[in-house]
Amino acid sequence: MRRHLPAVLVVLVLSVAWGISPRTEAQDSPSRGGTLVVAIVADPGHLNPAITTSGATHAAAELIYNGLLGRDERGDPTPDLAQSWMIEQGGAVYRFRLRDGVTWHDGKPFTAADVKFTFEDVLLKFHARTKASMGGALAGIDAPDGRTVVFRFKQPYAPLLLQLDATEAPIVARHVYQGSDPQTHPANVNPVGTGAFKAVSYRKGAEIRLAANPAYFKQGLPYLDEIVMRVIPDASTQVLALENGEVDFLWGVPGPHQARLKADARFRTAQTSYHPGGSNCIMTVSFNLDRPALKDARVRRAVAHALDRDAFLEQILFGEGRVAAAPISSEMASGHARGLSLPGFDRAEAERLLDAAGWKKEQGATRVARGVAGVADSTPLAIDFLHFPAFAKYGELMRQHLGAVGIEVTQRPLEPSVFAPTVFKNRAFDTNVISYCNGPDPEIGVRRMYHSTQIGTAPFTNAAAYRNDKVDALFDQASRTVERDRRGALYRQIQEIVAQDLPYVWLVETPTTRAWAARCGGFRPWTGLFAEAAFCKRS
Amino acid sequence: MSPRYLLRRLLQVVPAVAGIVLLAFVVIHTAPGDPAVALGGEHGDEAYYAFIRARFGLDRPLPEQLLTYVTSVLRGDLGQSYVHGRPVAHVVAERLPATLLLMGSALALSSIAGILLGVFAARRADRPADLAVRTAALLGHATPSFWLAQLAAITLALGTGLFPVQGITDPRQSWTGWRYALGVLHHLALPALVLAAGELALTTRLTRTGVLEALGTDYARTARAKGLPERAVVRHALRNALLPVVTVIGGRFGMLCTGAVLVETVFAWPGLGQLMLSSILTRDIPVLLGLFVLVSLAVIAANLLTDVAYAWLDPRVRYE
Amino acid sequence: MPGWTRAFATSDTRGVGGAVGLGLTLALVIVAAFAGAIAPLDPFASVAPPLSPPSRAHALGTDDLGRDLLAGIVHGARTSLLVVLSVTLLASVIGVAIGAVAGYRGGSTDDVLMRLTEFVQVVPRFFLAVLVIALFGPGLDRLVLVLGLTSWSAIARVVRAETLSLARREFVEAAHALGAPAARVLARHVLPNALPAAVVVVSVNAGTVILMEAGLGFIGLGDPHAISWGYLANNAQRFLRVAWWMALFPGAAIALAVLGLNLLGDGLNDVIDPRTRRPTSW
Repeated sequence: MRRHLPAVLVVLVLSVAWGISPRTEAQDSPSRGGTLVVAIVADPGHLNPAITTSGATHAAAELIYNGLLGRDERGDPTPDLAQSWMIEQGGAVYRFRLRDGVTWHDGKPFTAADVKFTFEDVLLKFHARTKASMGGALAGIDAPDGRTVVFRFKQPYAPLLLQLDATEAPIVARHVYQGSDPQTHPANVNPVGTGAFKAVSYRKGAEIRLAANPAYFKQGLPYLDEIVMRVIPDASTQVLALENGEVDFLWGVPGPHQARLKADARFRTAQTSYHPGGSNCIMTVSFNLDRPALKDARVRRAVAHALDRDAFLEQILFGEGRVAAAPISSEMASGHARGLSLPGFDRAEAERLLDAAGWKKEQGATRVARGVAGVADSTPLAIDFLHFPAFAKYGELMRQHLGAVGIEVTQRPLEPSVFAPTVFKNRAFDTNVISYCNGPDPEIGVRRMYHSTQIGTAPFTNAAAYRNDKVDALFDQASRTVERDRRGALYRQIQEIVAQDLPYVWLVETPTTRAWAARCGGFRPWTGLFAEAAFCKRS
Repeated sequence: MSPRYLLRRLLQVVPAVAGIVLLAFVVIHTAPGDPAVALGGEHGDEAYYAFIRARFGLDRPLPEQLLTYVTSVLRGDLGQSYVHGRPVAHVVAERLPATLLLMGSALALSSIAGILLGVFAARRADRPADLAVRTAALLGHATPSFWLAQLAAITLALGTGLFPVQGITDPRQSWTGWRYALGVLHHLALPALVLAAGELALTTRLTRTGVLEALGTDYARTARAKGLPERAVVRHALRNALLPVVTVIGGRFGMLCTGAVLVETVFAWPGLGQLMLSSILTRDIPVLLGLFVLVSLAVIAANLLTDVAYAWLDPRVRYE
Repeated sequence: MPGWTRAFATSDTRGVGGAVGLGLTLALVIVAAFAGAIAPLDPFASVAPPLSPPSRAHALGTDDLGRDLLAGIVHGARTSLLVVLSVTLLASVIGVAIGAVAGYRGGSTDDVLMRLTEFVQVVPRFFLAVLVIALFGPGLDRLVLVLGLTSWSAIARVVRAETLSLARREFVEAAHALGAPAARVLARHVLPNALPAAVVVVSVNAGTVILMEAGLGFIGLGDPHAISWGYLANNAQRFLRVAWWMALFPGAAIALAVLGLNLLGDGLNDVIDPRTRRPTSW
């Protein structure tokens, strides 16, 4: 034993040293090569994200393309196809200098003409958000030379820099699409982009295979050899597949499974409000302000007080998300109004307001009108609640919470094809719930909810039919104000006004949780180019 | 089997097909809402809906629309899916092979298992083993197929790690040839087993009944009296019992389609079932309409084939 | 093999299946009828912490909104039974009418009606229900209508067969000669004789109706206002790995109900036709 002691000591010391040495996480050092398998919820139909705002297409196809700019974790613009930019004339002119040496997947060079073509012939015709926001404000786009693009607006246009990423404005090839109908071009299924990955095969309903672009303009990227997007519509099956090792990345983990996956060392998760189909979404209850019962702000305030929004967060979203603290999503730092006081859960206050507004509790469980303007006496306070079938749980909680203060709620699930005309064309509803996505900038997703010009038949605009001249003027001014803090102050004023008027009740913000196998890393969940710098260690 | 019978049987198909197309037409046009929105989706603008109305002739009088629809279906044009942006027939054709593979294997598995179990039960008729087999088979039918599928996915796939939970191929491999076929079989195993388990009750029952009938006939009694071994008697009984089993394949086809939809959903099998699910979520009415028409026509065809097969197999049958 | 096991293995189990089936079916009916007494909790009310496993207070656990699952299953039984009864009623009315007319008149009327019956038998009910619900929206009434209008073919055949066999009997001809109306003959003689076979057919079909309702609920086309087994099964999908009781009990309830109905049908079939054991149509 004595003879072996030195050896034993050496072994002991070495093991202790190994034990306490810091372990390098798989995340820290990217490794080259490998295949990443991503689960997507639906077949995208085609691979051209410039002609649609469909989440399925964007989730599957954005990696094939680039935008002029990208976005960092805080949502600020970063260079992508454009390496630098200048804002001139107070925001009426934006000048971009494009990168040199960028090529399309078929080898042809990328130039400013591609950008001009993409906007004029594709995005402004087919991309709903870009068309609705930029379309009216743009005066023209010039491409004075191969590496310069100039956007000229009729008035200073504040949101442009946040609308130029691969989600809002992916750039497609002019030499491919010119002179043809972008909606039916075969390149939609055999795409040619500038992105980190090229499309290799697309088996409808099953999977899309992407391969690394060896000539990608960002040096050293991508790390992965291959990405396979697998179509798995059932959320539970997706989780099973992740746990079984058949899939490496999930776009969204269903609420019930989150706690389990977070606690499992084999996986990593990250929460984000970005979604390729629409970011920064808030589940919003709208009041039809044309209905006599809902014209009184006290009734609307009572409804807001009667709803226990924490219960919505816990029971429907399983804690994934936040109770909305302001009408604009907290993910948009420039727009979100901090410290605003929206009505909190207070049943007593709700009952007091309803009594004051003339809705009395008499025999039954439902309140009846006594001296309410425009409503006959003894009319019960019964309202309907329209929703997509997928949002049925919101209806159930509405019914429970409002029933407790004497408001009878009838749920009416409607197919999307019937919901839109019923709400926006016929206005045949009392209340409804809509997932209003604010988008990357309030100009894109928030204006349409409050501006009086947005009351109309186009779906998912101003459902409440809210009219306020001051708010209109503030929105118009904000879209022309480029300076960030001044803009933030204008949006704050808007939010203070609508928080008093309560045309809507802002329930919960709905981020999603991405999950991936721990042996992979480098993901950027806040953007559509989520796997541009991703890597997977060989297990 | 006479050519006259064959012709008569084929002609019977015509009113059935006409009925299906008429039914589909009636359903679309009695539904609430604008048929243009149903057929074109809710994200269009006025110009788009005008285009849809023109394409499907929605402003024409109903009889004319019906004629247009019938001729389209007969030509193989099942309409256009606005979600996929392609003809419904193309979308369906892409996903058909996967579903046919699943249904075919389930049909084969359940037929073989059903026959074996039916014979086993018939030989021990009215005894506990018979009751056990019949109850087990019925339990397979009574248990909802999606429930069974989820159970299998959790215990047999995730639990043992022997089987994959989703898909038809391993996404990390790009095999070809026989390795590809083996991979497909590996992925096919669980979905086919679940689908077959839910479906073999009918075959078991029919085989048992048929064998029992045949075992009770004069021929069987004579054979036994002459000292023929029981195995030979059962084998002969089986040959006669198989005829009803063949007939009923047409009816089972419809059940298999329904079961396939539910099983494909759980196992993310890229076939028509998954297409149906996504079309329901997006309310892609043209695809749902096309699937209904297609499955109906397939059931009619399956019935036709099995009737003809039955007549061919059993020359004693006269359908005059 | 010990004596008692051999005796067991060779004992006559005729009728055991039918008895078990009868028992299960009766249990279903009783649970559905006395739903309020068995599970007094409102199945729509949140009464407990969500996703709690089975316990003394909540025998089958609670779902994601904190609703008692036992109440859900019991009220679901009521919904299922209601749907089954409505479908059976509708299908019977149509089936009896068509079968009787076809059997009574014979000839070309019979031919046409039989073609119609064959056609209806061929229509894939599940896919039609999916199409109708996708177009008309979810609701138990649509489900009952679609299934009722497409499930009558087996009943029609049974009634027609009975009518045909009776129509030839002399006493019917005699009754005719005396001026008795066809409807009276139908009610007095045809229907009672057709009843056993019809019950067999109906009980098997009832199982299929329950399975279809569950399947439609599973893919999200169920009625959101009614607590049904299909709705429970659909709801349970997302919680498969965290709350096994949400998926297990509705699935087991469906399986037992459908099994019971089928065993009953089988048992009855054996009773009415022990010799030929005509297979029931599915």
